[in-house]
Amino acid sequence: MASGRVVKALVVDDKYLIRKIYGTMLVRLGFEVTEAEDGEVAVNYFVEGNEYDLVLMDKEMKVMNGVEAIRTLKTMGVKEKMVAITSDESCNEAFLEAGVDAFLTKPVKFAELTSVLKTFDLLN
Amino acid sequence: MASAPLKAQLTDLLNSMFAMDFLDEQFKELQMLEEASGPGFLAEVVTLFCGDAERIISQLSVLLNEPVVDFGKVDANVHQLKGSSSSVGAKRVALVCVKFRNVCQENDKEGCIAALHEIRHEFDELHKKFQTMVQLEQQIQVLDSKQMN
Repeated sequence: MASGRVVKALVVDDKYLIRKIYGTMLVRLGFEVTEAEDGEVAVNYFVEGNEYDLVLMDKEMKVMNGVEAIRTLKTMGVKEKMVAITSDESCNEAFLEAGVDAFLTKPVKFAELTSVLKTFDLLN
Repeated sequence: MASAPLKAQLTDLLNSMFAMDFLDEQFKELQMLEEASGPGFLAEVVTLFCGDAERIISQLSVLLNEPVVDFGKVDANVHQLKGSSSSVGAKRVALVCVKFRNVCQENDKEGCIAALHEIRHEFDELHKKFQTMVQLEQQIQVLDSKQMN
């Protein structure tokens, strides 16, 4: 990845506390962070023409859950890396079928997030 | 430095919270993030957590007072609290949430009420310590700012 380019992340979770924590981790890793409080808001950001290098997606959200959101985004042709944030492995199969690129289990550790992003070559 | 005794107090407080399992390694992740993002991050996170937890615990009390308990809603709320508490490293609260979900999944109303009392107790203890932590941090910041000016 070219150094100096702004890398953008979209953090999708219905809890502001969680968005704050993951958002701060991503800012520390050099990302410009946008937040969405549910899957529908996330999808609309893409519909409006916004582009992101990374999407962190929670599962349980009221308006549109994470699995449905990823499925919708993949159907729309979104190719950016999507990482599901799950409580346990029972959620993984649905996310895999939707087309997720990686998983992180709550609570997310900074080192684990860094490791996943390195595999995507998203870190300067 | 004028803030040295307060910093020592804060260190002692946090060490005791870790020793007594009020906090776990996830809180150290947040401490590391504060070092990078500047003062105020931890205070904001614990304040957000305490607000969320208080709201959820109140909601659980309402749900368990219903003549017919909706265990699905109870479980959903406890799941949220578990997620928040584990994300900030609130170990004892998170552990009680696991117990709570187990009795909830058995539709055990009495068990749920007992678990709620336990969560209330653990959260109240943690909340007091977090309030002390935030106050100490604020006092340290004020003293350090005066020193620099």
